Amino acid sequence: MTELAVEATGLTKYFDSFTAVDHVNLKVPTGCIYGVLGPNGAGKTTSLRMTLGIIDPDEGISRLLGGHKPQSVRHRIGYLPEERGLYPGMKAREAIAFMGALRGLDWREGRRRAGIFMTELGLERVIDEKIRKMSKGMAQMVQLIGSIVHAPDLIVLDEPFSGLDPVNQERLEMLVRRERDRGATILFSTHVMAHAERLCDRIVIIARSQHRFEGTVDEARALLPMQVRYTPRDNDDAVARLLPEDAERKGEAWHFAIEEADVEPLLGRITASGHGVAGLSIARPALHDAFVHIVRQVDASFAAMPEGDAVEEVVA
Amino acid sequence: MTPFLKNMFVIARRDFLAIVATPTFLLFLLAPLFMVGMGAVGGLGASQLADSARGKGRIVAIVDAADVEALGKADARLRDALSGGERPMTLEVRIAGPRAPDPLVVAREKGSDTYAVMSGALERPRIIERNEGSTSGRYLALLAADVLRDRAAGPVPPVAPHFEALTSGGTSIAAQQSLGFGAVFAIFLMTLLLAGQTVSSMAEEKGNKVIEILAAAVPLESVFLGKLLGMLGVAVLFIAFWGVVALGGGFVAALQMDPAAIAAAGKPAAALAVAPASGWGFFIAISLCYFVMAFLLLGAVFLGIGAQASTVREIQMLSLPITIFQVGMFSLSAAAASAPDSGLAHFAQAFPFSSPFAMAARAATDGAHGIHFLALGWQAIWVAMTVYLSVRLFRAGVLSGGSGWKFWRRNRLAVTAIAAASTGAKAAAETGTPH
Repeated sequence: MTELAVEATGLTKYFDSFTAVDHVNLKVPTGCIYGVLGPNGAGKTTSLRMTLGIIDPDEGISRLLGGHKPQSVRHRIGYLPEERGLYPGMKAREAIAFMGALRGLDWREGRRRAGIFMTELGLERVIDEKIRKMSKGMAQMVQLIGSIVHAPDLIVLDEPFSGLDPVNQERLEMLVRRERDRGATILFSTHVMAHAERLCDRIVIIARSQHRFEGTVDEARALLPMQVRYTPRDNDDAVARLLPEDAERKGEAWHFAIEEADVEPLLGRITASGHGVAGLSIARPALHDAFVHIVRQVDASFAAMPEGDAVEEVVA
Repeated sequence: MTPFLKNMFVIARRDFLAIVATPTFLLFLLAPLFMVGMGAVGGLGASQLADSARGKGRIVAIVDAADVEALGKADARLRDALSGGERPMTLEVRIAGPRAPDPLVVAREKGSDTYAVMSGALERPRIIERNEGSTSGRYLALLAADVLRDRAAGPVPPVAPHFEALTSGGTSIAAQQSLGFGAVFAIFLMTLLLAGQTVSSMAEEKGNKVIEILAAAVPLESVFLGKLLGMLGVAVLFIAFWGVVALGGGFVAALQMDPAAIAAAGKPAAALAVAPASGWGFFIAISLCYFVMAFLLLGAVFLGIGAQASTVREIQMLSLPITIFQVGMFSLSAAAASAPDSGLAHFAQAFPFSSPFAMAARAATDGAHGIHFLALGWQAIWVAMTVYLSVRLFRAGVLSGGSGWKFWRRNRLAVTAIAAASTGAKAAAETGTPH
């Protein structure tokens, strides 16, 4: 489907002299899981807030779910803010129904769905507990349920994984996939690459207030050359002559990067050399490496401009 | 129901329940009991004090033995002619003679308050009074004159008056004005007690970060209006509770009373009845409407101001100017109530924040009904404008302030950033020169 669930162009926000978000574009196709990645303070949250119309951008526009203004399609959107918040005196079921009711869901239906969701996520013990008696992670799961209880078409989650234990992170991933399968579009921000790598169909990387990369996870990983880990059968230093100059020896294995076109020639050389193959892996680097690479590049370009860098350091 | 109203009611419902379903609310609801209790104790003490003081007050006449009886009769007659609080102090009669004490000494005797002492011949009495031109002194002179007139005219047949009260001659303007003042005061007291609470109601959402959920899910206007409505619900519950208690109390008291006593009491009560110019039913209904408007108007102002505050301390500091603002509106309307049709009254009726008070007072003195609907509409427009403005300010100041929610923080950051930038530039220039 070519229709865009989110189409934000040129979003810009100034906090006085500091540009928190600088012409960020977000184009999220309907029905996909889309990750907004970036280091701390890169402007992810502000971008998401502007996309949803919670704060007004100084420049740029945001259109959701096929060209609508964010304010006019509120009931079709679910949002988990970065700063978690619930009324501590409310019971979990009521809190979820309340959040649903804010988005136009019937109270009774909200309470019913709250029960189903909480049971599914292993929270049935605390359905009728007050929020203040829950652990932080539990409250976060409750808020997450509250933001999707009305079965929205667009789900925006700001750092949804932070503060959750691995089991709950797993449950959340399951929930996100299921919502996608239901037909919803999920837009979430994170700085934990593992989740993005497993979940996202596409990602955008924001660093230093600007958007630096947009594409699939594989495209991001393809920015870096493939990583080779080769362990020969014999322990001869002559192996080094077969390998690129920057090859590094760690224990028995050699580590080096190669371009895609060099894979077959390398394999040929290794087989012909007679050193043997005890272990060999040729793989794309993880998203983590690609991300660090991109962010470092941006930082390096800022380091070339001392004034700009000084401003950024203080703000960060 | 439109989505906007629906959102508003979702917010209002949450706020209402969050306030009402707490033990603290019971304390709030019953707070007037303490006031009534303290008032009763204070009033009792004061009246006892007054009673005991009254028992010790006296006026003294030192007269010839021959005049004692006539003086006593004249005192009884005149005293009967006066009612209640107009009656003078107890009269103490002493016989004049060579061993009679000096009137000045009598006036200074300990153990009682002596307001006036009369001595000498009745034709030319010497009256020593505690306060110059006092009623007590005049009363003694009147007694003396009455005794003399009695003596000259001989016995006069007693007058047997038949008192009749005016029942349907309309209510006096003064009574209507005091009724208007009463309405102003009642509305003021209730808004003072109840509307001030809205100032802290946005603080909850800012404190527990729910504001971002609300701001994302519904228009802020409906958040603000919903909160106002929730608080209004609490206020109406409060008033309804005490209204029912008062009605129930009156009913029980009526049952306890002797029917004959009620019938007897009914007559003078009906005779004394005061009616507002617009009629009781309309007056009470419109006063309730004006209470709602006063609550919404002042509540909207306080809500808007409170939403700008970022700490509990700031909210506490705000409560003083807010109370002063309310008292100001009250004084303006009270002045207007005591001078209907004056320029001040028209100003108070038109100025949006005093309008509900002043118009309630107008309902007591002016029979026209249509003008009130106009006033309600005018006030409603101002409620909407206040909420709109509060939301604008809130969006611009608080919501746009980045993740810190504090709009001044980023100014400080920017200042440090600029300072750092200039030092950075300087450092770059210095490192640049050696090369």
